[in-house]
Amino acid sequence: MLFKLQKRTLVVSQIVGYALTIFVGITIILVTTQFYFDIKPLLSQQTDMFKSKSAVISKNISVFKTIDKEKIYFTNKEIKELENQSFTKCISKFNTATFKINAYSKKTETVPVFYTDLFFESISDTYLDVETDEWKWEPTLDFIPIIIPENYLNLYNFGFAESQGLPVLSKNTISQIEFNIQVSGNYKFKDYKSKIVGFSNKVNSILVPAEFLSWANKEFGNLSRNRTSRVLIEFNDPSDKTILEYFNENNYSINKEKLEFSKLVFFFKSAMFFVIFIALVIIILSISFILLSLNLIIQRNKELFLNLYNIGYNYNRIAKFYQVFISSITVLSIITSVIVSNFIRDYYLEKITNLFDFTLHRNYILILGLLLMLMLIIAYNILIIRNIKRIVIPRNEI
Amino acid sequence: MLIELNNIKPTYMSDSEISESDIYLQENVQFKKNKKYLIKANSGHGKTSVLNFIYGNNTNFNGSISYNGIFRNNAFDLRKSKISYVFQDFKLFPSLTVFQNIQLKNTLTNHKTVEEIENLIEEVLLLHKKDSLVNKLSLGQKQRVAILRALCQPFEFILLDEPFSHLDRENIKIITNIIVREVNKQNASLIMTSLDEMNLLTFDKVLNL
Repeated sequence: MLFKLQKRTLVVSQIVGYALTIFVGITIILVTTQFYFDIKPLLSQQTDMFKSKSAVISKNISVFKTIDKEKIYFTNKEIKELENQSFTKCISKFNTATFKINAYSKKTETVPVFYTDLFFESISDTYLDVETDEWKWEPTLDFIPIIIPENYLNLYNFGFAESQGLPVLSKNTISQIEFNIQVSGNYKFKDYKSKIVGFSNKVNSILVPAEFLSWANKEFGNLSRNRTSRVLIEFNDPSDKTILEYFNENNYSINKEKLEFSKLVFFFKSAMFFVIFIALVIIILSISFILLSLNLIIQRNKELFLNLYNIGYNYNRIAKFYQVFISSITVLSIITSVIVSNFIRDYYLEKITNLFDFTLHRNYILILGLLLMLMLIIAYNILIIRNIKRIVIPRNEI
Repeated sequence: MLIELNNIKPTYMSDSEISESDIYLQENVQFKKNKKYLIKANSGHGKTSVLNFIYGNNTNFNGSISYNGIFRNNAFDLRKSKISYVFQDFKLFPSLTVFQNIQLKNTLTNHKTVEEIENLIEEVLLLHKKDSLVNKLSLGQKQRVAILRALCQPFEFILLDEPFSHLDRENIKIITNIIVREVNKQNASLIMTSLDEMNLLTFDKVLNL
């Protein structure tokens, strides 16, 4: 009877409007948040989105500089000037090995015999885009971990291996190959075991831990030759147009494509937050809309509620119908949102996995959906009871 | 249950507006168990207000009201089992039928069976209107429905606010019999308001407001 009575107080269009808007809002929130988590590792693999907004710069090499090599090095004054630019957040110098390095293998079944000269550089670990436990070195260790640019692997797989009929190698295969390194200088030499422990997209160099290089430069190198030809610069805002202007003026070389990609990522991130912001606005509007509708229903049916209260129905019992109804609509809308969001995720994951090689991130849609559902239901239940109580009980009695 | 009114007076009335009242501004007015009271006054003297004060849906009064010695600001808890009320404006639900209106109250208390309710409806000559919407009824018919609804709960006091104002003599007789029967069955008391004396019902006390 009570159900029949209260059912008539509802306005279908308001309920449908609420169900639709809360569905749209929650779906956008769920999809964008999940997309953000899914794409985050991909972006940090592809570039330096989060640590980041950085680029490696060097001086342009011209015909004259090939004759006078001194001109490719940064002077202390130039580095200071770079540091003082408004777009610069911080600068890290590349350390270069000033000793002789050879890589070689002994004959085994898996690794062909090779012998080659190498160079090493190092940079502060903070700027590395590779995370591995093997990236450490101490004077007592006979092992040197190496990071090479991912481009080198691509060059080998798609260029060298292709033209010479050699097998292509995956990152995993390469990481398992152990070889030897001999460093020599100052009439001394030392042999180390070594392995490639990671591939960098950010730094176009053969990197070893900074601790090793500073130790080895003292031990085997010529400290007077330790000059800086490349620096890694981190920007406050990569979309700052003065960056490219400044580098062009000073004839510095920068990987513009990478900077553009960083900018793109920056804009992508901004757009993502903007979409989440819009979704939040939609959700807030739909919540306000249903609360306003409920208030209208309560005000319009004030007499009905008062009469029910007068014949003995307490405010909890009167509110129950609206609590159950709004909670059910919210649950249905959010469950639909969760299902639709999962479909959308499956769709974009299929597209992304076709284009990139990336590991699947954990699915937060259900947890996030349930959390939002719980928050909304608790809020509605409290507000509905409060509003109905205010209507049926005179203020001086509450 | 004993209901006591101590020095009560509606806040909207000044002391000078109250003259010769057996209730307002009286130090102690008692409504005892198993008694029938008539509160008599002309229109606008606050008959409905007294019942509303006792029922707890109007707290705009000075003084205090106690129920078995307990002072309450909100008597809501008494509505389901201790005090029943026939409102002057009926407070029926127009979108429900006669039977549904009565059943709405009965589902709260489970006091009467469907058969008992149907018998009561038949007794007040409204069986043919049992499934009609209340907004299709005349005032007299609505008044009878409101009275039947008030009887569908256990009570120690039944408050009747001018319950026969729209009824003819024949119907008053029928309704009076039913009310007295229910009051006696429940060993309850009755407080009725009226403009005049009531010949069909014997009261233990008549209070002039």
